[in-house]
Amino acid sequence: MNRFRLGGELKALLFTLPAMVPLTLFWFVPLGYVVYLSFMEWDFMSPDKLFVGLDNYRNLLVDPAFYQALRVTALFCLGSVIPVIVIGLSLALLFNSRMRAGAFYRLLMFSPWVTPTVAVSIVWSWIYEPEVGLANSVLRGIGLDGIRWLQDPQWALVGVLIVTIWKSAGWCMIFYLVALRNIPSDLLEAAELDGAGGWRKLVSVTLPLISPTTFFLVIVQFIQAMQAYDQINVLTQGGPAGSTRTLLYLYYQSAFDAFRIGEASSVAIALIVGCVLLSLVSFFVGRRTVHYS
Amino acid sequence: MRAANRLAAMLRNLLLAAAAIAMAFPFYWMATSALKTNDEIWQFPPTLWPQEALWSNFADAWQAAPFARYMFNSVFVAGTIVVLQILNSGMMAYALTHMRFRLKGAFTALVLVGYMVPATAVYLPGYVILGKLNLLNTYAGLIVSNSVSVFSIFLIRQAFLQVSHELVEAGKVDGASHLRILWTIIAPLTRSSFAVLALIAFIEQYNNYFWPMLITKDPDLQLVSAGLRSFFVEGGAYGLKWPLIMAASAFTIAPLLALFLVGQRTIMRSVDLAAGASKG
Repeated sequence: MNRFRLGGELKALLFTLPAMVPLTLFWFVPLGYVVYLSFMEWDFMSPDKLFVGLDNYRNLLVDPAFYQALRVTALFCLGSVIPVIVIGLSLALLFNSRMRAGAFYRLLMFSPWVTPTVAVSIVWSWIYEPEVGLANSVLRGIGLDGIRWLQDPQWALVGVLIVTIWKSAGWCMIFYLVALRNIPSDLLEAAELDGAGGWRKLVSVTLPLISPTTFFLVIVQFIQAMQAYDQINVLTQGGPAGSTRTLLYLYYQSAFDAFRIGEASSVAIALIVGCVLLSLVSFFVGRRTVHYS
Repeated sequence: MRAANRLAAMLRNLLLAAAAIAMAFPFYWMATSALKTNDEIWQFPPTLWPQEALWSNFADAWQAAPFARYMFNSVFVAGTIVVLQILNSGMMAYALTHMRFRLKGAFTALVLVGYMVPATAVYLPGYVILGKLNLLNTYAGLIVSNSVSVFSIFLIRQAFLQVSHELVEAGKVDGASHLRILWTIIAPLTRSSFAVLALIAFIEQYNNYFWPMLITKDPDLQLVSAGLRSFFVEGGAYGLKWPLIMAASAFTIAPLLALFLVGQRTIMRSVDLAAGASKG
């Protein structure tokens, strides 16, 4: 056993090196760097950075664009996570293991996830075309007026959300299929014998038993929503009138359009704080509500 | 009772079919739009099937922009990244599960931190760092910056934790080195996790848009998503040549759907694994 004590420390570190070097270079160092940059004023080009202390944060807290971005982010997160979970679960519940076309349906519903977001966003922007796009054709077909979709500040976010939900609902459904399959059938039978109807079974037996999956999906979908970029970039670029400018997009535009690095860094910190808070909150909520069997 | 059950089954089938059609319809719409002429595509109400299928649109779109180059870039970059991720998450996971060292707790915590922090927030400083390393606008920069994934480390670590201790102990008793144990005992047993990692990472990196777009300016280095978007803006004139744009989108999407068809069992297994991992 001595072979493993001697130089074991060094060997272990060597094993971790291929992962830790890129992680340090592209994750931990940038993390520290963005904190540092948030106290600076810099435009990327000039060699000097000006130390401005907490000014970037102070300006952020009085900036209406920041609050709009917070609002849009909250709407985007709730507006994508909740439907995706509900639709995913509903679809999974509809499946019955004895269905023959089941595998085919499953394939179709999962396929949006595999494809590049940019490509499907382009297809959807064609669907949203106000004059002849499919969306308005359907609306006019049932007697409603067309919507200007991505050009309308009231509807642009809805348009982006539809694409986002469409892309991920199948993914959530697959996770729920697995979870539902793992529910021991005797539990459901016992509930039936007790006289529980379909709805009761769902609420008292099924939902609690799949709560770990729900928990997992909610977190993952939330983090994905906070970081959504591709579809916003193709569909609306944060507009019109900032109605689709999430915190992430505000950060992107500050950094790479306007070259206000200090301001962008403070927005990035806000984003990081938001995600960390989310992780912590979900950890504590998870402890109280998730049932592990 | 029987009739009610059959009715319920029919209703389920109907709802599922409707949902499946709704999910797949944008792809159908893309494919048929790609075959229309510019005049027909602007018709209102739109036709469900092109009057005359213009297959030449695909050839025209293919020649309008260097799509072969974009695909090569995506395959090359994604493939290399996958190999690197397999190697370093395998080694890292092994260290975290089968080796004893003082920094183990600290490293595990660090990886956890990496999980909580949104990757996009560090794109800005990451860009600056790549610049300082002179890796902007290079294949090396694209590959190295994505060569490690916290998710991969977690996935493989989960898989390694399930390997029976007796097998590993037997290896140690035989005097096998760590590398030997990893390569001949653990890796073959966790092959399916690595397959899942490879598929998911490949799809993600192939489609990647945000980060590669930030760190490369050279159109020769563009991956598929960025290439398609450039085409959308320039060749497709931001929506004036929709059939061509739809054709280009179609052959951007097609290889992935094909890969999905071929690898669907592995992907579905990945969900099983991830779902298992999600149970804590």
